[in-house]
Amino acid sequence: MKILIAEDEIALQQSIATYLEKDGNTCEVASDFNEAVYKVDLYEYDLILLDINLTTGSGLDVLKSLKKKKKESGVIIISANNSLDDKLDGLDLGADDYITKPFHLAELNSRIKAVLRRGKYGGDNTITFNEIKVDTKSRTAYVNGKSLGLTRKEYDLLVFFMTNKGRVLSKEIIAEHLWGDNSDLADNFDFIYVHINNLRKKLTGEGAKYIKTAYGSGYKFIED
Amino acid sequence: MRSEVEEELYSTTARVEAALGKNDIMFSLSPLVEVTYANLISPEILKDTIIYDPSQNEMEEFRELSIFKEIKGKKYKITVRNLIVESEDILIAIILSYMTIIILVFIFLFYFNKARNNKLWLPFFTNLEAMKNFSITSDKPISLVDSEIIEFSELKDEVETLINKVRSDYKNLKHYTEDVSHELQTPLAIIQAKIENIINGDDLNDKQFEHLTSIQKDIQRLTQMNKRLTLLTKIENNQFDNLEIVNMYDRIAITVKNFQELSNVQIQISGDVNLPLVNMDPYLAEVLCNNLVSNALKHSNPDGIVKIFASNKVLSISNQGSKALEHPEKLYSRFYRESELAKSTGLGLAIVHKICQLYKFKISYQFIDGTHSFTVKF
Repeated sequence: MKILIAEDEIALQQSIATYLEKDGNTCEVASDFNEAVYKVDLYEYDLILLDINLTTGSGLDVLKSLKKKKKESGVIIISANNSLDDKLDGLDLGADDYITKPFHLAELNSRIKAVLRRGKYGGDNTITFNEIKVDTKSRTAYVNGKSLGLTRKEYDLLVFFMTNKGRVLSKEIIAEHLWGDNSDLADNFDFIYVHINNLRKKLTGEGAKYIKTAYGSGYKFIED
Repeated sequence: MRSEVEEELYSTTARVEAALGKNDIMFSLSPLVEVTYANLISPEILKDTIIYDPSQNEMEEFRELSIFKEIKGKKYKITVRNLIVESEDILIAIILSYMTIIILVFIFLFYFNKARNNKLWLPFFTNLEAMKNFSITSDKPISLVDSEIIEFSELKDEVETLINKVRSDYKNLKHYTEDVSHELQTPLAIIQAKIENIINGDDLNDKQFEHLTSIQKDIQRLTQMNKRLTLLTKIENNQFDNLEIVNMYDRIAITVKNFQELSNVQIQISGDVNLPLVNMDPYLAEVLCNNLVSNALKHSNPDGIVKIFASNKVLSISNQGSKALEHPEKLYSRFYRESELAKSTGLGLAIVHKICQLYKFKISYQFIDGTHSFTVKF
């Protein structure tokens, strides 16, 4: 997939690019407003990560010009401002998702995949990994065509794992993905452990042993 | 007054004597002058007497002098009387007239001064009233009037300078928290992204991974703190003006459902399902419920029960705890933590308090029989 990262903080821009390129994506970067407008105008991207506060202009204006040209790229807005108004403005202008700084790259990756799945071309509502197939429309997971009967959290967890396959996911990241701001309540992470264990059991029951422990306390979804 | 009257009497008798000496005419002008023949020469008599005055139809007091004189061989009794003009009446009349004058002058001066003072102090009181109505949180400009009096004019200038200073300081302070929180987001995002790349980079050992995830945890705490500080500032800045009817029972039920997955502590919820309607910003209602429930869960005994009651008048949340708070008065202060046990940001209840202030809800805290309870009255 071809992704444009319009972000004026070079360090963040490079970190995102590094993370996404590992999945085989092609990343291009734009470090200010003019570069972003220029690249959006000239090239086609599957997805654009758009920082609202670009040094020389607003990301929302880039979005406007993109929509004016009727380009079909998916857009995820990145903002340092956790305000509802910004979020609504962005989504009203046709952005597909909105993420607030600071975010986990795994979370961003998961959202990118979701946007691409919903994308107008080539997108379908399934995620497949070997014998595992997830239907994101009906929110059900199958192994070899057999439904796993996952709970809501187990389903979210599986999708999160599958969209970040091969990555080490710490409990902190998983907790934040599942419970957002309330995750600080899960102090000892016992609850994540319970959910992961249940999911693992259901998967291994069908012969899909992909959830591995990494570095003692982290998790990795990977083929043997 | 008396001596004057007597002097007059003596003078009159002397004239009467002189007149009698010239020609022997007996004349009387009763009751003022009476001349009669006397048989004896007696010593003079000076006395007060009361005689009926027909003209005024009342008894009048007279001073009477009777002297006995032998003039040209004839003995006379000369009685002279003088009406004692009622001196008390005069006195009273004088006092009364004085008093009337004084009172009139007083009243005149009173109103005169009042009118003058009113005019004089008008700018002062106008400005005082303007200052009383001054609110630091509103952006309404304060309009002070100038005065011809130098002191008032100076006072007005000083007050204006002060107000402008206070306003700009307040504005700076308001923006400071928001700016700081805002500016911190990007560096935090960079740190977080780099850590994730390290974790997914070359092989690490378990110890290194542990350190890195611990950093992730701290970043998350910082992020939470940032979010809550920004929220506090936003509430203070009145940036939540979206009023909707919120069903508190439904709202708290959703919160409870979210939290039940995260805690072993039991939560019991009761109240009226249909009635608890409160007019407030729906997002703030969510924050209010989340913070109160999460606070109760954090500080509850592990095997305790969190009890929630919601009606259209109150929302109360209680949890069991071992001991009362040491400083309940600091409960709603920012960054106040009673124990280090629960890793909280110390901002949850401060936010709850701010929300209650915004909507004029009354929040109270009690510790009875090992139960901490918060009650919000709508």
